[in-house]
Amino acid sequence: MWKETREREFGNLRPNLFSSRIFKSRISSIQLSNSKEIVSSHRGSVNSLQVDLTEGRYLLAGASDATVAVYDVQRATDHDGRGRISKHKSLFLINKQHEHGHKYAISSAIWYPIDTGLFVTGSYDHHINVWDTNTTQVVMNFKMPGKVYRNAMSSIARSHMLIAAGTEDVQVRLCDIASGAFAHTLSGHRDGVMSLEWSTSSEWVLVTGGCDGAIRFWDIRRAGCFRVLDQSHSQLGRRPPLLACAATNKKSSSHQSSAKARPPQRKSTNGNTVKSHGVARVPSQMKSAKQRSHPGMISSHDRATAHYGVVTGLKVTEDGMYLLSAGSDSRLRLWDIESGCNTLVNFETARLQSSKAIQMAVSQDSALSFVPCMTTVKVFDIWSGQTKCAFRGHYENVNCCWYNAQDQELYTGGNDRQILVWSPPKSISTEDDESKNGEAATSDQDNWSD
Amino acid sequence: MSKKIPEFGPSTSRKRPRNEEPEPQSENGVVNSHSLSLEEDFAFSDTLMALRMMRAQFPHIQKVSVPPFVLQSQLYSSIKNRTEVDREIESLKREKVVRIFKLNTGQDDHAIMFIDDYISQIERVVKRMEENSKTDLVVFEWFKTHVVQSKLDTSIGHQELWSFLSLGGKVKEEHISQLISAGLLIRQLIDQNMYWFSIPNIGSVLKGLSQGRKELMSLLSRRKYKEMLMAALEVKRLRFSPLDMRFHLRDLIGSGQLKTIETPSGLIVRVAKD
Repeated sequence: MWKETREREFGNLRPNLFSSRIFKSRISSIQLSNSKEIVSSHRGSVNSLQVDLTEGRYLLAGASDATVAVYDVQRATDHDGRGRISKHKSLFLINKQHEHGHKYAISSAIWYPIDTGLFVTGSYDHHINVWDTNTTQVVMNFKMPGKVYRNAMSSIARSHMLIAAGTEDVQVRLCDIASGAFAHTLSGHRDGVMSLEWSTSSEWVLVTGGCDGAIRFWDIRRAGCFRVLDQSHSQLGRRPPLLACAATNKKSSSHQSSAKARPPQRKSTNGNTVKSHGVARVPSQMKSAKQRSHPGMISSHDRATAHYGVVTGLKVTEDGMYLLSAGSDSRLRLWDIESGCNTLVNFETARLQSSKAIQMAVSQDSALSFVPCMTTVKVFDIWSGQTKCAFRGHYENVNCCWYNAQDQELYTGGNDRQILVWSPPKSISTEDDESKNGEAATSDQDNWSD
Repeated sequence: MSKKIPEFGPSTSRKRPRNEEPEPQSENGVVNSHSLSLEEDFAFSDTLMALRMMRAQFPHIQKVSVPPFVLQSQLYSSIKNRTEVDREIESLKREKVVRIFKLNTGQDDHAIMFIDDYISQIERVVKRMEENSKTDLVVFEWFKTHVVQSKLDTSIGHQELWSFLSLGGKVKEEHISQLISAGLLIRQLIDQNMYWFSIPNIGSVLKGLSQGRKELMSLLSRRKYKEMLMAALEVKRLRFSPLDMRFHLRDLIGSGQLKTIETPSGLIVRVAKD
């Protein structure tokens, strides 16, 4: 570490390389924090965690007992263990007694991406509430047709303030904070939508994962989705450089052209079946003739699935190139967003929880991913799929995790109502020097009574 | 074949004494007259070796003629890098050396079979159907030539199947029911218009597979420390499964339910705690 600082001083090491080396060495030494503890004020399992994107200081947590709490992760509320362990209590807590609070479990709570003045919570009581943080009052309320599984706002949006909401209804709804009404709905899924994320490279692209196992990409300016991920379309590894990719592109484009050719093919064979089966088939031909007209609805015929079960978690990497998806078939898949292919990286997962959505995290340089697997959080190397280590600390299933890139800390919340902090070990000598309790006197002060 | 290297240890190096094809010659590109064919000399990979070895070790079952298949979890137990296994299976599938089937055991099982074995199994089924009934069996020829060669996935849609079979001749609904009754296609439960490809005559083997798994897991779970020496486990015989112990052990180790630990007295198999 000192050698690298020296190299940086002399200019042999570039600043980006210097900082990424320090990040890597800190991430690889993450363990259950011996200096920080979050005192969870929830009485139900913690379902969602998010640290605000502007300062990286406030952690928002939503739980199954309809409570929402915000914790300050940089400043402790009090200290314990002779100043060594800092305890962080919640800055405020909203529970069922609040006049406009939620009545059932909160499935996701997210900050407004621009500043920490607002946050949005979605709950199983079919409502999405937008809260003002300073007064803890509800400023806007949206009623959904079903239980809200997840809501998301784009962090790179410059021209819209839409909340995308995935519910147990088949349509994804976009709610506009500026006008207080629904902007539009996206249909194409066959079952509820359990996970959704905005793309990190375009403010108009939304990725949704449904209970039917399909992952769809939507451009909200157009009707219908522009891509459905199919687990049988695969490419071997990262995309090859431009010259060599002509061969593989032919294969993948032949797959896609056969997918595009399928709708007109189906219509011609529908004609054949009408002749041989008589009256019963005529309504379906008329239905297909009506559906043929709208280009946005062609994608609803595409039944490709990304997982054999429910898609329980989605995470787009920071560079916007890859998508990590988790399914209730206990598989994790890495998708190349540009080509829409499965990169066939095999993550060694024994089991993943299948009834609830999980929230995964990816480190900033997209090299490591943190995935909650039952009662542990496993760290996978994204490119080779190997398990780097497993964090065991929760007593029951872990639902969500959030990686704070500023401090290289991981926060995890689980069914045991706890929020645990995992961080690189802090050396104890720095704590003693800081004399928080005013007890650490200088060593050469006299002990004589005066 | 020497028993010095444990059979269930993952192999990362390519130089293994049990290799039949001589390796350095294939890397130099020298024509070797002892090899089976020229293409096999050059197409060489760990996964292909493991597939061939496991296919050769497939247990012989009386009364039912099932061609040898290898489960994907068995490959994971032998080869350490699972991503490499997945990618090599994908490239073998694209080269039409093997075919992958999704088995309906209730869990996520995939069986890998060499295409030659699959074609010979189809022919065996056709021959038996010819002896039993006199119906027109031309649809199987269309299936072999058009569908198997062109559609490499594990499932196929109704319309696509219809269009592929039409390349052979005029298709009727009875043809598709013939394919289903022969056991080559299975309708999907979720979606009535999609079919899974399937291996004929595999029903009893699948039942034996799930029962054998349960029996082996309960055998180990009942023990005091939930573990047993591999040597002692290998000589036991499973009552409910026609497949042998080695098949089940490989499958459960590869899917992560059992794990092996090296000890001074040999390998120990233990139930994995999550």
